[in-house]
Amino acid sequence: MNNWVIETKGLSKLYRGRYAVSNLNLKIKKGDIYGFLGPNGAGKTTTIRMLLGLIKPSKGSVHIFGQPLEKERLSILRKVGSLVEYPSYYGHLSAIDNLEAIRRIIDAPSAKIDEVLNIVGLSKDARRPVKGFSLGMKQRLGIASALLGNPELLILDEPTNGLDPSGIQEIRELIKQMPKQHGITVLLSSHLLSEIELTAGTVGIIRHGELVFQDTIERLHRQAHEQGTLSLVVSEPEQAVAVLQEQGLGVSLMNNVILLKHIPDAAIAQAVKRLVERNHAVYRIEEKRQSLEQLFLQIVGEGGRP
Amino acid sequence: MMLKAFSSDLLKIRGKGLWFLIALGPIGLVAMQALNFGLRYDYLSQRHAGRMWEALLGNMLMFVPIALYLGVTLVSSLLANVEHSTNAWKQLLALPISRGAVFCAKFALCVLLLAVSCCLLAIGTVVLGLSLKFGMDIPFMAILKLSFLPFIAALPALALLLWLSLTVKNQALPVTFGIMSAIVSVYSVNLSEWFPLNWPLFGYTGPRQELFVGAGFLCGAVILLFGAVHFNKKDVN
Ligand SMILES: Nc1ncnc2c1ncn2[C@@H]1O[C@H](COP(=O)(O)OP(=O)(O)OP(=O)(O)O)[C@@H](O)[C@H]1O
Ligand SMILES: [Mg+2]
Repeated sequence: MNNWVIETKGLSKLYRGRYAVSNLNLKIKKGDIYGFLGPNGAGKTTTIRMLLGLIKPSKGSVHIFGQPLEKERLSILRKVGSLVEYPSYYGHLSAIDNLEAIRRIIDAPSAKIDEVLNIVGLSKDARRPVKGFSLGMKQRLGIASALLGNPELLILDEPTNGLDPSGIQEIRELIKQMPKQHGITVLLSSHLLSEIELTAGTVGIIRHGELVFQDTIERLHRQAHEQGTLSLVVSEPEQAVAVLQEQGLGVSLMNNVILLKHIPDAAIAQAVKRLVERNHAVYRIEEKRQSLEQLFLQIVGEGGRP
Repeated sequence: MMLKAFSSDLLKIRGKGLWFLIALGPIGLVAMQALNFGLRYDYLSQRHAGRMWEALLGNMLMFVPIALYLGVTLVSSLLANVEHSTNAWKQLLALPISRGAVFCAKFALCVLLLAVSCCLLAIGTVVLGLSLKFGMDIPFMAILKLSFLPFIAALPALALLLWLSLTVKNQALPVTFGIMSAIVSVYSVNLSEWFPLNWPLFGYTGPRQELFVGAGFLCGAVILLFGAVHFNKKDVN
């Protein structure tokens, strides 16, 4: 036994000779919000389908709550609420009857229906047929369905798809509260980093079916910081470059501005000291941080660990 | 577990036209005979004097199999479409319920709906016979047999069509297949009585009706089992 809520080992799915998901080792902590990021077609939905037992992995295993999914599917799913891709609903039924159709299967108390409708802000429209709902309202109904069974684990595939900015904000706040208020673990997929940056504790980035990053959001921030550059403006740039190269620093010159890769504070101090000793006037030192979004694009764009 | 899925399905078919269809079938069959006997009353009452009930059942029988095949086709397709139309499978099958229960609940619902049809047919036949003044010695046993035995013999068709409807998203395929079976069943009476599409007919007539009914029941169960096993394994997109 270990304390991962979700753990996959070598999880792979082959579609027509191509791996849509390949050798995925996810590790999701209890009480965490795990942001599952990747561009379109990266394999997020395919992974989530495997986590829910909707499709069979070609290779690898899934453990949820420490139990093998293949053998304990029903007892695991009793504690999981999910929303896969665009929402599913029965258009001819009202929101209440949609939830009732699920409630009859999972045996939740009737009072829970009003409660979840309230949570997602659909109480007013609860008696209208769902086919007349807007996409955002259907999405909210999908989230309400996921919450109906009092889950310990929520698996949400692009839950803010189709919501307006205030709706996105609302759902984000709702998701943020899950671990704190109810001890719920959340797996949240998105193709936008900005979407999960403010909610997630851990980030997994998937690209062409492979996990290319999996760590805390702080680590991602630190990596963005380390990917930043220093720019130096000095009196005689050409000579200054030579001085810096003597010290073994990676330097480049662009428009008379010296660019330095991120280096530790002590090394910068040392470099500046040398320049001053050689009578260079140092006019300006600037740090250019890489934004998280740029780092994300770099990770999913070029591939491999940055 | 199957009961839960069943009660959920009952809710989901509200307003989907299934109950209407269920009533329409038997009413149509009875109306057809009302017309038949209404227009040719003199001729038929001379020809079948004293055996009018029998004549009614005999005339009705010709149309029961084709009505059954059409009913089986439309009921299973409409029921499957409730899930297909908005891709509700991924939500339904991610709930803590076994896929076998989901599949069997849908089969049970089809059986229930069609059994209601059969009941209506029996009631309608009695009402028609009485209003045509065929006399009070109503052949209840024969009417019940006509209403239910062909249905049992058509269970393999139901299991097969339900499986097909639930498996393929495009309902044109199962519906075409079902309607073709209905049409073929009209002409196949000349083939061997063991030709499966003939079972409903020979499950009522014929000297060995219990064989056809039994075969239908067994075969239906076997197809249901295979369908459930396949449904249990397939990927849900
Ligand atoms: N049923 C299927 N048959 C064949 N290929 C599939 C199937 N489902 C998905 N794929 C392929 O698998 C890859 C991953 O798809 P997936 O839906 O998991 O991506 P995603 O990360 O969810 O993308 P998006 O952000 O657009 O939702 C895609 O290249 C897709 O074409
Ligand atoms: Mg997706």
